[in-house]
Amino acid sequence: MSDLALAPLATTAPAKSRWRVVRAVAAKEWLELFRDRRLVWLCAFVVALMLAALAFGYVENARILRERDSAARADRELWVGQSAKNPHAAAHFGQYAFKPLSPLALADPGVDAYVGSAVWLEAHKQNETQFKQARDGGVGARLGSLSLAFILQTIAPLIVILMGFASFSGERESGTLKQLLSVGARPRDILAGKAMALIGAIFALLAPAFFGAALALVFFVDRERLSLADQFLRLAALGAAYAAYLAGFAFLALGVSALARNSRAALVTLLAFWLANSFLAPRLATDAARAFAPTPTWQDFRARIAQDKAKTFGHDESHPAFVAFRDETLKKYGVSRVEDLPVSFRGLSLRKDDEAGYAIFDRHFGALQSAFDRQDALRAAPGFLFPLLALRPISMAFAGVDSRSQFDFATAAEAHRRDIQNQVSDNIIHFAHDKQYVAGPELWRKIASFAYRAPGAVFALGYSALPIIGLLAWLALACAFALFAARRLRPV
Amino acid sequence: MSSAFLAGLRFEARMMRRDGAIWFALLALAGVALFALAMGASRVVSQQAAIAGARADETQRLTNLQKTLAQLQQGETQGKPAPEPPPFRDPRNAAFMGGGPAAAVAALAPGPLALVATGQSDLLPPAVRVTTGSKDSFLFADEIDNPANLMSGATDLAFVVVFVYPLVILAMAFNLLAGEREQGTLSMSLASARRPAAALAGKLTARVAAPILATLLAVAAGVWIFAGWERLATPGFAVLLIVVLLYGLFWAALAAAVDGLGRSSAFNALTLIGAWVAITMILPAAINSIAGFAHPAPSRTDMVLAARAASIDADRARDASLARYAQEHGDAEKPAGGPQEATLRRLATQEAAFQRVEAIVAEHDAQLARQRDMADRLGYLSPAYLTYQALADIAGSGETRYRAFLDRIRAFHLDWREFFLSRAKAGAALTAQDYAAMPKFTQADEELVGPAPAGLAGPLIGVALPMLILAALAMRGYRRCRI
Repeated sequence: MSDLALAPLATTAPAKSRWRVVRAVAAKEWLELFRDRRLVWLCAFVVALMLAALAFGYVENARILRERDSAARADRELWVGQSAKNPHAAAHFGQYAFKPLSPLALADPGVDAYVGSAVWLEAHKQNETQFKQARDGGVGARLGSLSLAFILQTIAPLIVILMGFASFSGERESGTLKQLLSVGARPRDILAGKAMALIGAIFALLAPAFFGAALALVFFVDRERLSLADQFLRLAALGAAYAAYLAGFAFLALGVSALARNSRAALVTLLAFWLANSFLAPRLATDAARAFAPTPTWQDFRARIAQDKAKTFGHDESHPAFVAFRDETLKKYGVSRVEDLPVSFRGLSLRKDDEAGYAIFDRHFGALQSAFDRQDALRAAPGFLFPLLALRPISMAFAGVDSRSQFDFATAAEAHRRDIQNQVSDNIIHFAHDKQYVAGPELWRKIASFAYRAPGAVFALGYSALPIIGLLAWLALACAFALFAARRLRPV
Repeated sequence: MSSAFLAGLRFEARMMRRDGAIWFALLALAGVALFALAMGASRVVSQQAAIAGARADETQRLTNLQKTLAQLQQGETQGKPAPEPPPFRDPRNAAFMGGGPAAAVAALAPGPLALVATGQSDLLPPAVRVTTGSKDSFLFADEIDNPANLMSGATDLAFVVVFVYPLVILAMAFNLLAGEREQGTLSMSLASARRPAAALAGKLTARVAAPILATLLAVAAGVWIFAGWERLATPGFAVLLIVVLLYGLFWAALAAAVDGLGRSSAFNALTLIGAWVAITMILPAAINSIAGFAHPAPSRTDMVLAARAASIDADRARDASLARYAQEHGDAEKPAGGPQEATLRRLATQEAAFQRVEAIVAEHDAQLARQRDMADRLGYLSPAYLTYQALADIAGSGETRYRAFLDRIRAFHLDWREFFLSRAKAGAALTAQDYAAMPKFTQADEELVGPAPAGLAGPLIGVALPMLILAALAMRGYRRCRI
């Protein structure tokens, strides 16, 4: 306050003087924030909570990673340890594809607990991912667990509100706002100064958490499988998204504080918004998404696939499609009996049936994912008003734990399943000269184990356009609202 | 009841009747509760449809199998045998039929008050197809849902009661003393009553009774409208009202205790918001994290890997047996045997997988039970945690009922295996009589639901005890209040 009081400003004060006002206001706000012991302790508590959440995330993710790595190795041993058998029997035995853990899941676990960790890659059938961790957690687990994302998404905005709700109204109540305006400080400059202080405080709040997350990444990322640079890029995107989210809250708090009758009214209004954003909007948006873009039940989904699969022949040699394919093959090779074919007809028919199945699975699983995408888009649409709806998909996408990342993994696993089927059928086509044909471990070893490389940050960016626009719109709206409120600023 | 208490209550009630904001808050709370119950009712309809779909599918499958069986038998008796179906489609083949085509549906029908809480019902499928295979092959099938939907959670009464309801109570009760002191009316209030503490208690009662009664009425109206009036006469509904009442009283007592400290409205508001965040959000999250850290949930993949290892071992045992046979008989001749030998081999593999999976499932369940026990014990730190679990139990979507369902499945699975495997081992073909005598998963749901949710005494005491302590602190604060 002291340097403001020294030199009253003219209404047309030069930019340099205005900058001096902005800096002075920011410095004073900082000082007041630091002097408020309750806020300092609260921030320290939240920072400690974030670091504890990161530590929990690190330990839990390291454990899951170990488990999945060891399961993948054990499954490989089982696969290559099969005794000599018909290759198609081995295809039925199948392999398991285990979903690798995204390193940034230690900061935002996203939907990981709700999607399962492994897919069984068996003959004739594309399976869903199994073993959702959330199933084992009990009812209380639905109240959430400590994660950095949970704290930043719900607790951090509350801290910003508590830091900012009395910014203007408090000064008005204590009479200092009148003094400030009387020396010629423009409301917009005061707003800028206060915003600078609040945003600085947000950065101070975010810095330890993101520094901790970066440090955890250095230890966690297996550089043979993943690019550390890509993970840092993702972390930077997360940092930017959370900064925009919280900066929006800072502007909102300043705007409401400027317009409110008193600090109490400002606090009540902001808390009501926080409650709506953190609790009501995600659930109501989910209910709306379910209503407007329904997904089939498991029973319906599998029944529709079975209906389409019934048009293919599978192992049914009396099926009209089987008979037609046999006739076509005999004609193609210019022979009249299956026994006279130079290759195994059983292998050819397996491959033909698999190929027909691939198209069916692509259609149904693709439609299901499209329904999920529509639901996600509907949920994110009001993100410019309730920013958690925009932030959450961005956070999950860049942490590699959203439903799109899951679909990418499931698609890769299905590609591997098809590779197994194709190799097995090709082996039968070329080597199975009788029904007693068996293949040995050399074939099992030749068929590689599933190796999945998660896509980079650009993939996350590509599927996050709508929520990113929503989050930027939220920031712009909050900023515009704060400017509007500053123009209407009343000294008393 | 003292006249000072009643006078305070009446005066405050008159003041509140004239406050539009209070009416708005109460109507909004009741409206949200009714909306949540409507959403719960629509969820129950979906669950019932899923069960009906699974049962219709079961009926269809069994009808088709019986029809094919009749055709095969008719062909045999008429001397015109029908084409022999492959074993996996042959309705006479006990080894294959019990493993899938004839699988029995075990369903857990929604409880009478299922609309109250989603609980675990969105994660655990309401119907399971029990087969002769090991549990890993059927027990872990999931209902299809967008994982982001599951993560966000559903709007249900449990959510409204645990999160929204306390905020309205806090908003009503946070500044009874502080507000009067700041307005300068506290001295008049204290001077006008012979027993000021009783008068203040009366005022507080008026303030907190409004949201509590509004919620109780909305719950009763919602259950009546969306589940039927007969549900209102059940013990479960009475327990539901007690849970809502006790939880509301806990928050009212907390607000009064903080107000009784004699600090400003701003202090009260911030302290109570902090307490709300800690009790409803941070503590439950911390409880889950600590329990998960202390007793990590075992990986379910161990179970499938064990089943697969059993299959590999069975193959190897068979290979070793064939090799021994060839060595003993001096050439590569294979032992005699037809489809029955293949069936027995298949059953031996299944049995080995079954035994290993049973052992691993038991081990996993024990570890999960340790994790849940720890979470349940720590849950006493947060009345919100206890209330949420109690509401899920009342709705029948909590762990108590689901565990009972799993126990029923475990027993039924054994019956089912015995029925098919005994016939398969004996080489007996399934007959029409066998189809009629197959074990059925009967209306076990009714047995499982029970007359009233049991085991809620602990959680109720867990909410009531801190409420009483806080109420005592609040009364102390009111008695000592200064102008």
